[in-house]
Amino acid sequence: MSTFEQLRTVIAETLNVPGDSIGETTTAEELTAWDSLGHVNLMIALEQTFDIQLDVEVFPTLNSVPAILDQLRAQGVE
Amino acid sequence: MKLTPEQLNTWLGLESRAQLAQALGASRAEITLPQARRLTGRLEELEGAGHPLRLAIVHSYTSDLLDPWLGLEAAIQGLGLDTYHAPYGFVRQEAEPGSGLDRHTPDLTLLLLQREDLHPDLAAPLAVRDADERAALQQAAAEGLLGTVGRFRALVPGQVLVTLLPALHGPGLGLFDAHSDRSELAWWAGLKQALTAGLRERFHGTLFLDLDAALCDIGRPDYFDPRLWYSARFPFTPAAARDLARRVIAIGAALKYPKAKVIALDADNTLWGGIIGEDGLNGIALGPDYPGNCYAAFQRRLLDYQSRGLILALCSKNNPADLDQVLAEHPHQLLRDGHFAARRVNWEPKPANLAALAEELSLGLDSFVFVDDSDHECAAVRHALPQVTVVQVPKNPLEVPGCLDRLARLEVLSLTSEDLAKTRLYAEERRRRDRARQMDAGGGGLDEYLHSLGMRMRIVINDASHLARLAQLTNKTNQFNLTTRRYDEQRMQAFLDADDHWVAHFSLADVFGDSGVVGLAIARRLDGELAELDTLLMSCRVIGRRAESAFLESLLRLLAEAGITQVVADYLPTAKNGLAEGFLPKHGFIATADGRFLRDLAQAPPRPAADFPIAVELAR
Repeated sequence: MSTFEQLRTVIAETLNVPGDSIGETTTAEELTAWDSLGHVNLMIALEQTFDIQLDVEVFPTLNSVPAILDQLRAQGVE
Repeated sequence: MKLTPEQLNTWLGLESRAQLAQALGASRAEITLPQARRLTGRLEELEGAGHPLRLAIVHSYTSDLLDPWLGLEAAIQGLGLDTYHAPYGFVRQEAEPGSGLDRHTPDLTLLLLQREDLHPDLAAPLAVRDADERAALQQAAAEGLLGTVGRFRALVPGQVLVTLLPALHGPGLGLFDAHSDRSELAWWAGLKQALTAGLRERFHGTLFLDLDAALCDIGRPDYFDPRLWYSARFPFTPAAARDLARRVIAIGAALKYPKAKVIALDADNTLWGGIIGEDGLNGIALGPDYPGNCYAAFQRRLLDYQSRGLILALCSKNNPADLDQVLAEHPHQLLRDGHFAARRVNWEPKPANLAALAEELSLGLDSFVFVDDSDHECAAVRHALPQVTVVQVPKNPLEVPGCLDRLARLEVLSLTSEDLAKTRLYAEERRRRDRARQMDAGGGGLDEYLHSLGMRMRIVINDASHLARLAQLTNKTNQFNLTTRRYDEQRMQAFLDADDHWVAHFSLADVFGDSGVVGLAIARRLDGELAELDTLLMSCRVIGRRAESAFLESLLRLLAEAGITQVVADYLPTAKNGLAEGFLPKHGFIATADGRFLRDLAQAPPRPAADFPIAVELAR
């Protein structure tokens, strides 16, 4: 499973949206469920699932799939 | 320790909510949020919408991030959760009629408060204040909180749960705090005591949920997430959030499900390691060394559950003699025969034994928790008796002592002295039954058995010191009750105070123990020589020993002494009091034309106490 596919599963399960509503360029604005509450839940889910630590300053920047993928790569996630 | 994908998939493949719930409850693995969502989905799939639980959360810090965990814990307990979160920071306002909280009509209202909310002076260190100031502050803070709780208690139905967020940091005085007379920890402990004493005294249906206990379980660094706290005012790590959810939902489960009353225990590999029938008294693992000390610790823990008012029963496939040898002779066996309210030790299937235990104890199977190490036995009981909660004892002895600690069904919301006496009362009753069986087998009759009990009845007239118990008897006694009239303490007091009323109650003791206050009669003088028996009832605890007859005749003797010559009484049938149907005719009361019963004390004088196998003492 590629990192994107793993990420898609995490977003889908955390926000309770269908997997096919999430693409490689999806941003928070495009998903109603990705509101401020959903965003915090997603940050927690990313940390738990990929075993990474996210600084609180970084939280607001991770508001799209590409931004998250960049962060995951930067933290050494395959 | 993380939940592996393999373990998750195994769990998702389980076939019943009960099994998955038990697996989740027993596991200490850290569950991620997406995993929690999947498990919640699977639990809901396995057993539709459960008992509805309406939860309302009033909070001075962020609460909606608790939802995924509340959802998981509710699904584990088979509860269909409907949560209302008050608007952020709206505490006082929500206590007003017409608020969102009011309209939600919650079963459970959770107050998430911070320590600093209690009093403005708590924004500064406590240690610098002198003793009088600290004491006054403690009282003011407790009173303030009790006032706030009172406003919610007046508004909402259901239970109110009060919490205080634990301190984010250790005490201001550091290591020295514990030793200091200005100890912050001691001050907060004192405040909690003042708070809980006030809650007990003033309000029904309120509970203090101590999150400091959660802090003990998890550890401060793993409890608080500073990033979420400082950026979003949400204090908890996922582990802490899930723990809070578990505690809150456990209380919801205790409210919604029939109260657990019995822990029915297997013996081999449950109370000791090994199999007594094969390993013998010296071969089973029970004692100061590993693994026997794990089982000894479990037995000790079972005494704690007993102190919650739960009774212990034994359900084991063994030769009774083998098992009795352990109970009687093993030096490290803590739970002896007298600890068990009932037992089935034989080779019959366990579901049948559990049903027999339920009948013997006059308790529903839905109040049973069954504890056994065997896959097969647990599966058999789960299948045959779905209303029984089944807990499988872990194979690993290290996990045995705490294996019941997280079971929501064993949490209690109250504790009375009667609860504490339960096991003793059941054990005494078991000994009476055993004696009755022995005498029966020896050809002795009922009378011989009753005499052998050496029963002593104490009848007390117009005594207000048992007011609460007397009122409780009228409200809880359904079977041996002639008229089923329900009286609260106020009305009972009025009867006690009235000149033309007699309120008689009795307690019964025998060689096995004292049953406490178990019977009540209320009579009134109608005019001159005519009296009316308004109420005559007796707890089922003492049925079958002719106590009701001895009581009635003693009461009639008392009335005759007061100049009464005729007593009129009624039998008002209900769905439950068939037991009392023949009582009046059997005791010399003649049916009259208007459907009542009349006893003429001249024609049918009160029988002397000597007629009954009970020594009667009348205290006036």
